[in-house]
Parts: sequence; C-alpha cells; structure tokens
Amino acid sequence: MIDPGSVVFLAAVAALFAAAPVAFVRRRAGYTLSLAGSLLVVTAATWALAVGPFTVVSWTGVLGSDVSLRLDALSAFFVLVAGIVWTATSFYSIGYDDEPSAGLAVSYALTLGSIAILITATDWLLFLAAWEAMTLAAYWMILEALGRPSRVYSAAFVFLAFGEASTLLVAVMIAATYSTTGTFAMTAITVAGPLASVIFVAAVVGFGLKMGVAPFHMSEWLPIAHSSAPSNASAVLSSTLTLAGVYGLFRVVTLLPTGPSWWGALLLVIGAVSALLGAIFASVSEHAKGLPAYSTIENNGLILVALGIALVARAQGLPTLATFALYAALFQAFAHAVTKAALFLFAGDVERTMRTYDLTRVRGGLKDADQLASGASVVAALSLAAAPPLAGFVSEWMILESLFQSYQFGQPTLEFIGLLSGAIVALAAGLVLVAMLKFIGFTALWKPTHSAGAVPARGLAAPIAALAGVVVALGVLAPWVLVFVTPTASQLLGTTAIAPIGGLLAIPTGWSIISTTPALSMFGILSPPAISIALAVGALPAIAYYAAGRRRALRRADAWSGGRAPPRTSETYTSFGYSTGMRIMLHSILGTREIRRSAGPLGTISEIRSPETYDVELEVLDVFKSFYDVLVRLVGGTAVALQRAIMPGRVGRYLAYILSMTLIVIVYVAIAFGPR
Amino acid sequence: MSPAPFDVARGSAFRPSDRTALAYVSRDGALALYNDYATHRSTLVHEPVLRGEDLEVRARWRGAAPGPRTVSVGGRVQGYGVFTFPYGPVAMGTAEAGAFDLVTYGERILELVPTVGYKDRGIEQAVVGRTVEDAALWVERRAGVFALAHVSAFLAAAEAAAGRSVPERELWRRALAQELQRIQAHLRLLARVADGASQNVGAAQVHALEEELLRAISRCFGHRWGFGALLPAHPSDRLDRNGRTELADRLGRISRGFNGLWETFLTSRTFIDRIQGTGTVPAAESVRWAAVGPTLRASSIAWDDRLRQPSVPYTDLFVPLATEANGDALARVLVRQEEIRASFLMLEQMLERWEGVGAGEVIPSPGIAPSRGIARVEAPNGDLVYDVTIADGRVASLQSRSPSEANWPVMALSLRGAVFTDFVFSLESFGSSFAETDG
Repeated sequence: MIDPGSVVFLAAVAALFAAAPVAFVRRRAGYTLSLAGSLLVVTAATWALAVGPFTVVSWTGVLGSDVSLRLDALSAFFVLVAGIVWTATSFYSIGYDDEPSAGLAVSYALTLGSIAILITATDWLLFLAAWEAMTLAAYWMILEALGRPSRVYSAAFVFLAFGEASTLLVAVMIAATYSTTGTFAMTAITVAGPLASVIFVAAVVGFGLKMGVAPFHMSEWLPIAHSSAPSNASAVLSSTLTLAGVYGLFRVVTLLPTGPSWWGALLLVIGAVSALLGAIFASVSEHAKGLPAYSTIENNGLILVALGIALVARAQGLPTLATFALYAALFQAFAHAVTKAALFLFAGDVERTMRTYDLTRVRGGLKDADQLASGASVVAALSLAAAPPLAGFVSEWMILESLFQSYQFGQPTLEFIGLLSGAIVALAAGLVLVAMLKFIGFTALWKPTHSAGAVPARGLAAPIAALAGVVVALGVLAPWVLVFVTPTASQLLGTTAIAPIGGLLAIPTGWSIISTTPALSMFGILSPPAISIALAVGALPAIAYYAAGRRRALRRADAWSGGRAPPRTSETYTSFGYSTGMRIMLHSILGTREIRRSAGPLGTISEIRSPETYDVELEVLDVFKSFYDVLVRLVGGTAVALQRAIMPGRVGRYLAYILSMTLIVIVYVAIAFGPR
Repeated sequence: MSPAPFDVARGSAFRPSDRTALAYVSRDGALALYNDYATHRSTLVHEPVLRGEDLEVRARWRGAAPGPRTVSVGGRVQGYGVFTFPYGPVAMGTAEAGAFDLVTYGERILELVPTVGYKDRGIEQAVVGRTVEDAALWVERRAGVFALAHVSAFLAAAEAAAGRSVPERELWRRALAQELQRIQAHLRLLARVADGASQNVGAAQVHALEEELLRAISRCFGHRWGFGALLPAHPSDRLDRNGRTELADRLGRISRGFNGLWETFLTSRTFIDRIQGTGTVPAAESVRWAAVGPTLRASSIAWDDRLRQPSVPYTDLFVPLATEANGDALARVLVRQEEIRASFLMLEQMLERWEGVGAGEVIPSPGIAPSRGIARVEAPNGDLVYDVTIADGRVASLQSRSPSEANWPVMALSLRGAVFTDFVFSLESFGSSFAETDG
C-alpha cells in the first residue's frame, strides 16, 4: 500500500522543481508553485512525524544499491524546518522579486528542490549529487544580484570556491565510508579506529564549510553580506543551506559508531570559537544583512557545541547527557533557521523601504513605515538574543545546561574543554545581545528625528510576521516540540534515554524541560509554558489599563536637547557609534585601527593652524580573511610559477611534461591495482 | 614704586620667538601683550604686527558679535559613522550655561568644540560711562568665585589710567583677599575633580573645607564672595589684631585639614588612575594656544604673574612657584594643591607682617597711554588682564581677557582622542568658567 505521505512529498518535490521552468515564463507563478511545494513539504514532514517514517520512491541505482527518498525521523525533522522557512520565503518572494531577469526565481526554485532531495536521500551518491546541485543553484542565486554596483562577482566566486571544497571533502567522506561498508547506501558504519576518524573529520570540515563555522566562516558572511544578493536568496542561504550542512553532520554522526571522545572535543572547540567570532563580528557589523549573517556563524557554532557535548557524553558513557545535548542541538537548529529567515526577510524589507542596507543610514526608518514587520523583527531578534519565552531562549538554556554538566566527563582535559567552551559560549551569548539590540534598535525601534516617512514596501510584512509567530510558538510550546517533533535518542543514537520532559510543583508533567544526571534526578528545569503564562498574567494590568482608554492621556514631546534646537539627524547616535566601544575594547581580536586621510585644505584665516579637514575611518579586520588572502597569493603565485616553468611557450617542454605525467599515472595504476 | 611690569616696543621692532605667547590683544588690534617664556619677560607692543597664529588665538578668544559662539581649534572630522553629540547648555553635569559639541564615531572624542557666550551679560559695555566705584560693583559680579581677582585687576588698571596713587595697606588687603579666594577656588576645583571620579566622601570633605574658608572670608570681609570688600569708598574688613588672630586660627585649621585630606587622595589609586594621563596638553600646545595659569604651569612652563610681574606686596613676600611636567589632569590638580599650600604660606607671611606695613602710598606704574592703564593679576585660573580707559573720572572703555577665556582652546585640544568618560576630568581640571569667559 502506498503511504499517503509519500504521495504528498512526491508532489512537493515535483512542485519545487516544476517551479523552475514555470518561473522562467511567469515569475510569480513560479514562486506560487514554490509556495505550494513548501506547504506540501511541511504537510509530508508532519505526516512522517505523526504517523511514522515512510519511503517516497525507490529505484535501483546505477551502482546496484537501492536509491530512495525516505522521510525517517531525522529527515522529517529537517525537512519540516526547511519547509516552514520556504513557505515564508516563497510567499515573500512573490512580492519582493523585481529583478530584471527570471534568473533569481529559477535558481531559487532549483535550490529548494535540491535541498529537499538532499535531506531525504538514502544514498550517498544521490546525496552528493543534490549537494552539488544545491551549491551550483545557490551560486547562481548570488550571481543574480547582477547589475548592482558591488563586489558580487568575487563574493559569488568565494562562495563557489568554498562550496566546491566542501563537495570535495564530502566526497572524500563518502569514499571512505564506501571503502568500509561497500555500499553507497546510508547504512551504519561499523568500522572503528583511524578510518572512522577520517570519515568524521572529513564530515566535520566538509559540512562545516557549508555551515560557515570558524575558520571557514568566510564562506558564510562574504557572499551574503558583501554581495547584494537578494534578500529572499539570503534567507534561503543562511537558514536552509547551512541547515543542509547541519543535517549532513547529524546524519554521519548517527551512522558512525561511538568514537573517541576527542571527536566531541573538536566540535566543542570549533563551535565555541565560531560562536564567539560570530558574535563579535555581528556586533560590529553595519550591514543589515551582514549582521544576521555573522549571527548565523554564532548559531551554527552553538549547534556544534551541543553536538560536541553529545559526542563526548556518548563516548564517556553518559546517555542521559548525550540525549539532552542532542535535543538541544536540534532545537537550536530549528529555532535558528526560523528566526534567521525572519531577520533576512526583514532586511530585504529595510532595503526596499530605505534603499540601503547600511544601518548608519537606515536610522530607524522602518519604525513607522512598516510596523508589523518591525514588530516581527523585534520578536525574531529577541529570540536570537535569547529572551524568554522565545525559541532561542529555550535552545540557549538547553545548550548552557548541557555545558554545565560537562563536569561529568570524567577526564580533566575534557572537563577543562567543556568548562572553557561554556565560558566562551556564555560570552558569545552576551555579545549577541549587543548585536541584536543594535539591529532592531537602528531599524525598527528607535527613530531619532521626525524625518519624513519613508514609503513602505508593500506586502512583505506578512511572511515575516508568520515566522515571528512560529518563533513564539516554538518557545512557548517547547516541551511538546521536543516530544513530538524532534527525533528521539533511540532514533538517533540507538540508546534508550527518555525525552527530558517532566513537571514540578504546580506545573503539570509534560510542561517542563528537565535535565537530569545519574546523581541528581533534577539538575535544571525550565517551563516555557509556565513562564509564558506568568508573563501574560503580569501583562494583564497594563493591557487592561490601555484598554480602558488611558492611552489618550499620553503626551508626546521632543526629547530635551540641552536647551538648543532639537538635534538634527547628524547630531544623533549612529549604529556605528553604538558598537565602537566593542571595536576599541576588542581591538586585539578585531585588529581595529584608525585611518585618517586629509580631505583637502581650507583657506580661511581661522583654519591657518589646523587646515586639514580629514576623513576618519575606524577599520576592523577579520584575521582569517588575512590568512585566506595570504593563501590566495601563495596559490596564485605558485600557479603562475608552475605555468611559466612548464608551459613557457615551447612545445618540446610541454610535450615532455604531458608524457612524464602519463607515465607516472600508468606506473601508479600498475602498482596500485595490478595483479599481486 | 613698582618695578616696570613690561618692556614696551612698537610695531615690527618686536620679534616673537616660538617661546612667545600672545597674552592679550586689544579689540582694535592696536595693542598686544606678549609673554616670553624663555626670558620671563613681557613686552607690550604698540601697533603690533600680528602673526597668523596670533590672529588665530585672538579669533578663539573674541567673537565678533555677542551671544553664543564656538571655540573651534581647527580641523573638521568627517567619516563613516561620525556624528556630533551635542551636550549642554542646560544639561546634567554642566555646572554653568555652556555647551559642547563632541564629534565622535562613538566612545572616542575626535574633536571637542565648546560653545561659549550663553552667559554674555555685556558687563564690559555696561560699565562705560560709570564711575570707577560703580563699575567695580559690576565687575565683581562677573564670576563670583573670581570676584576679588577681577575687582583687583580692574581697580589697578583704573588707578594706572588715572595715575592715582594707592595706599600700600590697601594693596596688602587686596592681596590677602585674593589669596583667600584662590584657596577657595582651588578647593572647589579639587572637589569637583574628585566628584567626577566618584570619590564622594573625599569630595564632600573638600567641600566642607571650602565652606569653612567661605565663612572665614565672610567673617573677615562681610561677604562670602568678598563682594564690596575692595571698593575704594567703603573699605570694610575685620583685620584688626583680634580679627587677624581669628583668621590665622581658622586658616591653620583649614590648612591642617587639607593636608590630611590630600594624603588620602594621593593614596587613592582609583582617583589617580582616572586623572593620570587624562586631558594632556603638551608644553608646545600650551604656548601656541596661549594658555595661562595652572594649566600653563602644569605643562612645565614657569610663569606666574605674582613672580614675573610682581606688584606690592608680592615683591616683599616669598612666592613659591609650582610646576609639573606632564600637562595632564593630574599635573593640573597637583599644581593647584601646591598653590593652596603656597597661598596658606603667603597668608601666614602677610598676617605676621601686617603691623609693619607702611602707611605710605604706592604710585602705580605709568599708564600705557594718556588715561589708559593695563593691569595684570594672577587670578586662580591664571593671568587676568584688564585694559581700562578713564575719561572725566568715568570709565570710557573696558576690555579684559580672562584666564578661562584663554584656556578653552587647549581644553578642547586636550580631549582629542580621549574617551567620553575622560570629559569630566578634563573639563573640571581646567576649571574654566563660562561666566568669567562671557563677561
């Protein structure tokens, strides 16, 4: 009997891919089809989570193994997250896309389709094909900012370079897997020892490149921030393309056997450093899309930290902690994808309304222009800043709660790494607050002067608000999300720990998330529904007061400006000024330096002594970018040198090179594969 | 007869060096007074040939029209994220009506532009046509904290203009009053700097000492700020034998209290940390922008009118000179606390020798022109210049250059590159008064 879910999902995939040719003809129809496909994706994923896993289609692949699309617990979860994001971005795109060509719409549809295949493939070859298709489609999407004055070409190329490096490493990982399992099917990898570690490290680097974690975070921020890639593309890239990386890592980890504990420690270190760097760079970013892009690095770092805790705990024989940390990682992935999509869509709204992504020029322009979108962005940003009872708060609590329990690791080195990561993550969480307050402060919350109202972009607010609603629901209903949506420990790791759900005092069982240890039945407890109810009850008097019509008594006046005329726009705080404290305090990390340039002399008598009008710029550097710059110069230099040595324009030497290479290959094949 | 207060030169005969600063220039530019810090001499130049930097210094001091005007020291910053942070004139933290524009990209002050003139009461114009006695009432109300210095300088200039001799005892009285007020002004400044560093108890204790001193002044001269005390027609004081003994007792107590308190301040690391290296003015900038008083002496330039241009009774007293090398807020604070001790010492000398002061008359130094006199006084904030013309026993014109006015440019310079929180320490350690500046 055919599972109804498989029909729905097949229709979804068909719709997602069909959207590409349709968009080529009629762009809005294409986006509408993408929207329909996304809704079907959500439906199918919900079906899989509610009823049970199902296989969509299955056929015999080219290399003999069975190839199929299957929604098991892990795939269904990730497809659900992606589907929710796509529903919003597709709806948003209908009103947003005003590019001169249909290229954006087509590449958008192709990206969505590839990701859907990627997450549901049960075969590594199909996975790799979808992975590569996703990379190319995303590259095309970034290129679609064509015609705008920007560094888009080089940015897109950086994306492609990192993307191909990622594909290469994923291919290495798959080859290593094949060498032990003898099949491309995603089956459990039973080999231990160095080969398992090779698979693991290749997966971490390969998928980490897509997640944009340190030291590969260039792959994340450069294309999104420095190109003017359209905002719907940015949302898809930052939310779901990095989600594909997270999925890949989760899939490999669940297939691998319990490895040595340094696997987890490696993830802890990478994750913590990414979280800190992401948070720091987010807080000094002045770009309405660069800031959320850096925040993505931070969030993916947090996912790695949680996954790292889970791996160490599994290796050290702590199933309860491993389960809890896995839940934390998955919930974090969910929360981040949804909130980040909301922020990127809002950034697009900002650009359409204010005609700039520059936060120092936006200056709260969205406050009155688009109140619904502004409110939604506040919710999303507060979630990323971990404000209760929103989704980000719950996931951050769970991650910190996991880190607190690193004392159980039982090895001083591991415990120290856990402790250090915990401190760094806490610091990053604090710094993200600066970044998020700056983002919403200078776009949606604070407007310094009564400047003329900007004309709002129409029809963009609804999907942002919908995503914000999801963020609130995710937070408030977190215990039930954990029980019904998130794949369980037995599905992931084969262990039998139960979901960390409980109750306390007057809070009914099932309403709270609890973390336990072997020694303590309750290490920490959090009840998002109870917090929400308390907040709502606390807000009742204020709501009643306003409902009683007291709002009319409100008197508005200009802020006191020292007895002088009300400040002009040039006399109010800039978003740059808001985070200069960070630039100065963290100058050793940011490489902050002040650059002064003379801007031409002035000839008036009062300027005799100090005639210079000078430009000042406070520049920050990414140390990793300098590293890559050096690398690029080295590789480029070597390539040129080789080219000159081998192909100087003399046919004889070139022929000799070709012949010697051929000879080397023949000898190698003879030795490696010849009869023994 | 006092020693000649300055050399006199004419036009291009005077050649300033790079250690020469413009101390005063009259409104019409016909008269300029230069200090030479290499030779410790002042030169009064008639029909001066003003150098470019002199023109610039004058432009900072004097706006063309009354009312608010900015004291810009040149340069104009622009750049990504740079904005102006307006502060004052009516804002928390500014004691007087004066405003500042802080040009910044956040956190760091790239440029500070003070705006003066909000307290312009037009005193210099209002006294024209009044008798010297009447005009003195206006002059001493220019800035209460510095009233006695202003009225002393005004009277000395008026006497020089009229060529009128002054009783020696009267000059001693003026000096005594000025030293009392100098201690009070310095104490007030120290308290405000300490307040900026949240040294609440210490600041309160210094304020208490200041109050003691105000009461001593009030007991001695009948008014806390010394208003009316030095008016020629109604000299009123309680400086008889009993009064002097009482004053000496009070001063001894205040002096001892201050010494103990100052020990505590110097051992407070948090206090010293906040002012050390804050608001630094190098010596070259001090000369270039013609800074005066403790500000100048804190940048290692040894100039004090009481020593370099001494008048009775400073000619007969031991006048310690305090200088510091670093030019930062700490140096300015240290100079002032040294001057508090020096003033206590001078007061002690004056009170001891009060009986022996002759009843003779002192002939003022000759006027610089018929009916026109210039007098300089070392006010608490530094060199104070009054330029008075008398016609028919009435004030025909009055010009002045107050030390506060002279110090704004270096104060603005001192904060370049500083952070916001340094602002209060720079502002308070210079101690410039808007009321004194505006007149």
